[in-house]
Amino acid sequence: MNDRQLLTRDLLVLFGLTGWGLSLPYIGSEFMVSMGLTCLMYVALSSSWGLFCGSTRYLSLATSAFFGIGAYTCAMQLEQLGWAATIALGAAVAAGVAVVMGAAVLHLRGTYFAVLTFGTTELIRHAVTYYEKSVTGTVGRVLAVVPERDTIYLTVLLLAVLTVGLSMWVRRTRLGLALMGIGADEQRAQTLGVNTRWVKLAGFAMTAAVAGAVGAAMSVRWTYIDPHTVFNPFIGFQTVLIALIGGAMTLWGPLIAAIVFSLLAETLRLQAPQVYMMSLGLLLILCVLYLPGGLASLRWDTWKLWRDDTRAWWKEKKREWTGEKEREKKRSREQRLV
Amino acid sequence: MTLGAWLELIGSGLITGGVYALVALGMNLQYGLMRILNIAHGEFLMVGAYLTWMAHTSLGLNPLLMIPVAFAVLGLAGMVIHFLCFRRLVSTSPNLDIFEARGLMVAFGLMFLVQNMVSWIWGGDLRGYDFMTDPVQVGGAPVAGNKLVVFVLALLFSLGLLALLRATLLGKGVRALMQSPVGAQLVGIDTKRLHPFMFGIGLGLSGVAGCLLSMAYTISPSMGEPYTVTALIVITLGGFGSMGGALLGGLLLGVVEAIGMHYTNPSLKALLSYIVFISVLLLRPEGLFTRKTRKA
Repeated sequence: MNDRQLLTRDLLVLFGLTGWGLSLPYIGSEFMVSMGLTCLMYVALSSSWGLFCGSTRYLSLATSAFFGIGAYTCAMQLEQLGWAATIALGAAVAAGVAVVMGAAVLHLRGTYFAVLTFGTTELIRHAVTYYEKSVTGTVGRVLAVVPERDTIYLTVLLLAVLTVGLSMWVRRTRLGLALMGIGADEQRAQTLGVNTRWVKLAGFAMTAAVAGAVGAAMSVRWTYIDPHTVFNPFIGFQTVLIALIGGAMTLWGPLIAAIVFSLLAETLRLQAPQVYMMSLGLLLILCVLYLPGGLASLRWDTWKLWRDDTRAWWKEKKREWTGEKEREKKRSREQRLV
Repeated sequence: MTLGAWLELIGSGLITGGVYALVALGMNLQYGLMRILNIAHGEFLMVGAYLTWMAHTSLGLNPLLMIPVAFAVLGLAGMVIHFLCFRRLVSTSPNLDIFEARGLMVAFGLMFLVQNMVSWIWGGDLRGYDFMTDPVQVGGAPVAGNKLVVFVLALLFSLGLLALLRATLLGKGVRALMQSPVGAQLVGIDTKRLHPFMFGIGLGLSGVAGCLLSMAYTISPSMGEPYTVTALIVITLGGFGSMGGALLGGLLLGVVEAIGMHYTNPSLKALLSYIVFISVLLLRPEGLFTRKTRKA
C-alpha cells in the first residue's frame, strides 16, 4: 500500500468507528454507555500520550496532572462560561502548565524524566489539596449544574475522534517527522537542524491539551471531585499501560488496547478488582519482554517466530538434558588435541 | 524548646530516617549496579511486612526471628524475578537507554502485580500486632522499645551492606561493575552470577525493612508506595548509585521531615518533600554529596 491508500484506509476505519460510537447512546443500555465513555476517555488519553511519548521515547507520567487540572478548571468555571468554552479553557490551562513544566524538565532524558514528571504530578496534587484545605476550606467540590448524559458522551466522543485525527495529521507533518527523529537519535536530529527544544515543547503541550480537555469533560460525570480522585496517579499509569501494551509508536495500537481493557475492566472489576489489576501488570511485563512493539505489531509472522523460538529452545534443552552437548564438547576437545 | 524536646524530635526523625536509608540502599544497589530502577521496591517491603505479620499472628513466631526468613524468601524471589524478566531484557535490548526504559516498565508491571496479589490474598484492611511497646529511657527521653529496635537493626543492616561492599572481594567486584561494566567483565567478574545475586540482596533488604516496619507500625497493601517515593527522594539526595550518600540522605530526610512537621503544618509535609526532591533533581541531578560529576 502506498501512502495515499494508507491514509484512505485509516480515515475509513476512523469514520466507521465514529459511526458505531455515535449510535451507542441510542441502541445501548445505560451500562453500555458508561462503559463506552470510559473506553473513549482512555482512547483519547492514550492516543495523545502515544503521539508525543511514543514517538520521542520520553516516558511521561504526568497525564494525571493534566487530567486533574482540566477537571478543576471545569469545576471552577463551568457556571460562568458554559460547556464548550470550559472545555477549551481546560485544554488551554493544561497546555500552559505543560509548557512551563516542559521548559524545566524536557532537557532530561530517560529515567530522570519519568521520575521528575511523576514527582511534579504529586507536587501539583499536594499543592491543590493544600490550597483547597487552607484557602477555600473544603476538601472537594460539588458540580451542581451538569449537562445531560448524551452531551457528555458526544463531547468525549468528539475529543477521542479529534485526538486520533490529530495523531494521523501530525504523523504526516514536519513536526511528526521531527518527533520521530528525536525518538531515534536526538543528537542526530539536532545536527540535521531540528529545533528539538521547541518541537518537544509543542508535542508535550499537545498531549497535555488533550488530557486537560478530557479531564474537563469527565469531571461533570462524577459531579463531586476532590484532588484524590482527579489527580489519581492511577489514571496516568493506566494511560501509559494501555498505550504501551497497544503499541505506543502506532496509530491504532492505543485504541485497540483501550477497547480491550475497557471490556476486561467491566467484566472483571465487579467480581475481582485485584485480578483485573494483576492481569494488567502481568500483561505489561509480558508485552515488554516478548512484544516490545505492542499489540498492534502482532502479525502472523510473530506467532511463527515465537513458535520457532520455543522449538529451538526446547531442542537446546533436550540436547543439554540427554548429555549430547557435553559429549559434543568433549569430542571437539579431543579433536583439537589430536 | 528545651534540649530534651530537641533530642526527642531528632531521635524520632532518625528512627524513620533509618528505615528510609535501608529501603533506599537496596533500591540504589539495584539501580547503580544494573540500571534497573525498581519502582516495585516498596511492594516487596510490604510483602516482607505481611509475611512477618502472618508468622507472628498465626504461628506465634517472634518477629525478630522472621528477619532472616524475610531476607531469604525475598532474596530468593528477587533471583527468580531477575531470572524470569531482567535476564531476557538484558539480552534483547539494543542499548542501555532502552534497557533502562524497559526495565522501568517491567518494574511498573511488578508493582501492579504484587500489590494486588497481596490485597487479593489478605484483603485491604489495616493490620498490626503489639511487640515490645514498653518505653525505654534513652538519654532522658522516653522512646518506644520497638522503634528503638527498628532503628538499631536498620542501621546495622545498612552499615553491614556498606561494609560488605567496602571490605570483601564480592563488594570489590560490585563496585568495579558500578564504575565500568565493560572493564569489570574484562578482568573476569562474572556478571551473569553477580547481577541476580545483588538483585536478590536488594529485595532481601526491602524484606528486612518491611519486617522491621511491621513491628512498630500498622500495615496495609498500599503501604509500599510512599516508601518507594521516599526511597527515590533519598536516592536523588544522595546521588544515583552512591551508597554512602543514600545512608546519609535517608537519615537527613527523616530528621528534616520531623523538624519541618514540628514547625509547620503537618499537611505541608508531602508538599515540602516533593519540592526538595524536584529542586535537587533539577539543580543537582548528580546528588548533594557527590563531588565528581557523573554523565547523566
